[in-house]
Formats: sequence, structure tokens, C-alpha cells
Amino acid sequence: MKIVTLERILKLGLTNFWRNRWLSLAATFVMTITLLTISIFTILNLVIQATSESVKSKIDMTVSFYDNVEEEKIQSLETALATMAVVKSTHYIDKDEALSIWQTLPIKDRTKQLVTKDSNPLPRSLQIKAYNPEDLSKVAEFFDNYKPLISRISYENNKDIIQRLINITKFIKQIGWIISLIFITISVLIILNTIRLTIFTRKDEIEIMKLVGASDFFVRIPFIIEGALYGILASILSTFLLYLAIHFISPMVSSYLGTVAFDLNLFFGLNFWRIFLLQLGAGSFIGIACSLFSAHRYLKV
Amino acid sequence: MKFFFDKKNENGEPNKEQEGPLIEFNEVSKKYGQIIALYKVNLKIKRGEFVCLVGPSGAGKSTVLRLLIREEKPTKGHIAIAGRDINRLRHKELPFLRRKIGMVFQDYKLLPNKNVCENVAYALEVCDATKGEIAHKVPKIIELVGLAERTNSYPKELSGGEEQRVSIARALVHAPRLLIADEPTGNLDHDNAREIVQLLLKINQAGTTVILATHNRDIVNNLRKRVVTMREGKIISDQMQGKYII
Ligand SMILES: Nc1ncnc2c1ncn2[C@@H]1O[C@H](COP(=O)(O)OP(=O)(O)OP(=O)(O)O)[C@@H](O)[C@H]1O
Ligand SMILES: [Mg+2]
Repeated sequence: MKIVTLERILKLGLTNFWRNRWLSLAATFVMTITLLTISIFTILNLVIQATSESVKSKIDMTVSFYDNVEEEKIQSLETALATMAVVKSTHYIDKDEALSIWQTLPIKDRTKQLVTKDSNPLPRSLQIKAYNPEDLSKVAEFFDNYKPLISRISYENNKDIIQRLINITKFIKQIGWIISLIFITISVLIILNTIRLTIFTRKDEIEIMKLVGASDFFVRIPFIIEGALYGILASILSTFLLYLAIHFISPMVSSYLGTVAFDLNLFFGLNFWRIFLLQLGAGSFIGIACSLFSAHRYLKV
Repeated sequence: MKFFFDKKNENGEPNKEQEGPLIEFNEVSKKYGQIIALYKVNLKIKRGEFVCLVGPSGAGKSTVLRLLIREEKPTKGHIAIAGRDINRLRHKELPFLRRKIGMVFQDYKLLPNKNVCENVAYALEVCDATKGEIAHKVPKIIELVGLAERTNSYPKELSGGEEQRVSIARALVHAPRLLIADEPTGNLDHDNAREIVQLLLKINQAGTTVILATHNRDIVNNLRKRVVTMREGKIISDQMQGKYII
């Protein structure tokens, strides 16, 4: 095919889009909604996955010991823990480190000053991470035998977060996909009908083109360009709306998950091109497919 | 499809089909549902002929022409163009047939979203003409049909006669070997009609076969060309240098 023809064809597609601008706009909007639905659920899935990974890696168990327990005893316990299959790492926090952690806590300076190097009531502790946070319960069982040595086990608090996370993940995975599939189906149907409408108004045109000698291909090309245009415009619009939505949603996610919040803004920034190109691809594909499908029946002349 | 109207075949030898008639209708019948539009029509048209197709409204003139560009298929019988049975053309071959024929449609069939210039250019674009060719030929032919002033108007801004002349320009622009004109002067005043007929004659003299379907008694009688008269789907007379007899 000659380049002249290609240029001519591109112009045709653009002109047709403009001359049917209201219907074209409608198709573009419906396409935008479809793309938004797809990407919101995809991002939600990714976010939940990433968040649960990051939460899992942060969840640990801190076992604090009474001051009268001998240092050797704690160290032998640490060695024993390290041999457990479920344990990923252990870390011994002595009085000095406990103090420096205390110093970094977000509390009032007056309270901070209550603890000094000479009068330090902070306990020594073992910080234990498991490969799978749910296995921390086994570690807790292990410490059942050493209850007299232990002043406090901070594990119960985290159980809550873990459970929440598991719930969200399940919800998004199971119901999210069903919802997005339903949305995609509905949207494709709407787009198909919108495009079919724009083409129906041009049924006579297609017939005339064929009668003066245009090949099916030549008649189709403007429709392909139009379909692609819907996809291109919709993906730009949808990416922009997504950006706005993320700005709005991000703080809500943070407040729900507390300190383990996943930075949606950062995620969007890092994956901008991937998100945009994915939408562009999906949008152009749906647009071109719907457009070709709708033009098909009028080409029989 | 290359050899459709070409004087030489693919090996460069004179085309044997050249010797037979350009168009041949053999016992062609056409029904639209219950309505019989054509009944056992036999017709031969030679290369370079100028044929007037006349007859009262509803006689089947347009149907004959529509069959020639395969807008419709006959219900029965065979139609051959340059020796090829056009009923047997595959869907993909149709554009090649239509590109060799120029057709002026009774209802103009202009593309509503294209202006005069674009409408005329479209007939060249479908043939893969270069930009240069289009820029050269289109204004010339628009000038020839007297629409130079209206180049940028859209069909809905044109009068019936002007639309008709755009349709004529589009049919002529790619210099077809066969020109089919369905009532091309129907909406034109006397002077304009005469000019268009002169144009058709000039094109015919240059070697193009012309089929002119018309109601216009004066035109037919002044032309002194072959006249094929139809009535109720049948050919009732076929005269060389004929007159409008109904
Ligand atoms: N698409 C169609 N569907 C049904 N009937 C049709 C169709 N086209 C034509 N006819 C009928 O076929 C017959 C021949 O029609 P045709 O258009 O060939 O007449 P014509 O000779 O061109 O008439 P006119 O001089 O008015 O243009 C008419 O009776 C017409 O009603
Ligand atoms: Mg007619």
C-alpha cells in the first residue's frame, strides 16, 4: 500500500470522527468507563498484593524478658529459635538498643526524658520474624514453656492487622474479578451499540463507497482509525481520572491500614507508563474490534 | 480482473474477447420479491457504441444498469461483460469491475460527508491514484461540468441539478471504458442537459461505450443513435438511429 493512501486514509478516519462528534464522544466516554473499571480493579489487586507482602514482612513478634533473667539464658533461647523451620530471623535488643528505639518513638519529649541510660526500665527483648506471619503462633507456643521469664509478648496486637489483610485480599480476589468482568461485558455491549449506531447512520455511505469501486479494505480503514481513536482518547482520559481518583483514595487507604499503608501515589508514579500503555492497548483493541464488527454487515454490497 | 476491458491480455496479445460484444444479456430476469422488474431480456452492446435506453417509468431501465455494476444479481440468466460472466465474480473481484465502469446514478449517490471535490476525488482514491493525478484531474472535470464555483460545497448545499453534475463528474473522472448514465439530465434545464449530452458524445467519440437511460424525448430524437425501448421489464424495440417511440 502506498504511503499517499495511508495518509489519505488517516485523514478520512479523523474527519469521520469529527463529523460524528457527539456519537464519537459517547463511545469515548463509555470506553473510558470500561478502562477505568479494568484498571481500578487491576491496581487494587496489585496494591493489595503488594501491601500484604509488605505487611507480612513487617509483622514480627517481640518477646520481652524480666530484668533478672540471665543474658546467657536469652541467648540460648535465641539459638533454639533460629533452628525452628518457620523462623526467618531473630534479633536481640539489649537495653542500649531499647533506649535508642525509645528515643525515636513519636512521643512527648517529657516522657522520653523519663528514661535515661542510668535509670532504664525498658526490658531486653527478642524480635522474631517468621517466613509466614501466621506461623508466629508456633513461636508463641514455644514460649509457653518459659512463661516465668517473660514479661510481655507483643503478638496479639498484630493478629488483628493480619486478619484484616486476609479479609481484604480475599474480597478483592473473589468478588473484584466478578464485578470487573460484569462491568467489562456491559461496557463492551454499550460501546458496540454506540459504534454500531455511528456506523448505521453511515450505512448508505458504505454502500455508495462500494458501488464506486472501493474495496472492503478501503472502506474499513476509516472505521479502524475511528475505533483506535476511541481507544486512544479514552485511555488518556481514563489515566487522568485514575490519577485524580488515586489522589482522593490514597488517604483513605492509609487510614484503614494505619502505619502499613501502601503508597498509591508512588505506585501510580512508578507504573505510569505501564498503566497508560495497558489501557491504550485494551482500548484500541476493543475499539477496533467493535468498529470492524459493526461495519462488517454493510460491506456485503 | 486486469484484462477486463483491456485491449491486450496478460501476455500482451490482443484480447480474444475484444471481438465479442462488450455487454451481453442472455435471458436475464429479475424479480424483487413478487415484482417482476425484468423478464427474459436479451441485449448485446458492442464496444464503442452509444445506446439510449428508454421506456416509461418502472420499465426496468435502472434495473438493467444496476445489474451491470452488480449492485443486484439477476434472478435468472447470464450477464457477460467482455466475455466474463459477472454473476460468477467473487466478492473480492467486484471493486475491480466497478472501477472500470463510470456510473451516474439516478439518485446521485453522493457521499454526504464529502464536499464536491472530495466526492469526485473518491472515485480516483479507490483506484490508488496518486496525489498528483488527483490534483490534476479533479479540478479539470469539475470545471467541465460547470461546478468550479461550488468545489467546496457539500451535497446538501447543492441543487438537484448540481448534485447530478457532481455524480457525472465522479463517473467520468477516472476515464472509464464504460459509462452508464441513469437519467443524467433528469434535473437539468434544457441548456445544461444539452451540454451534458454533448459531453457524453465527446466521451463516446474518444472510445468509451456509453449507455444512457432517459425519459427525454428531445435528446433521444436529436442523438440519432441506437435506441433500446423497454416496457414492463421487456425490450420491445431496438433500433439503430432510432427515435423515441412511446
Ligand atoms: N429495490 C426494489 N425493490 C422492489 N421493487 C423494485 C426495486 N427496485 C425497483 N423495483 C421495481 O422494479 C420495477 C423496475 O424499476 P426500475 O427502477 O428499473 O424502473 P425504471 O425504468 O428505472 O423507472 P424510472 O424511469 O422511473 O427510473 C419497478 O416496478 C420498481 O417498482
Ligand atoms: Mg430508473
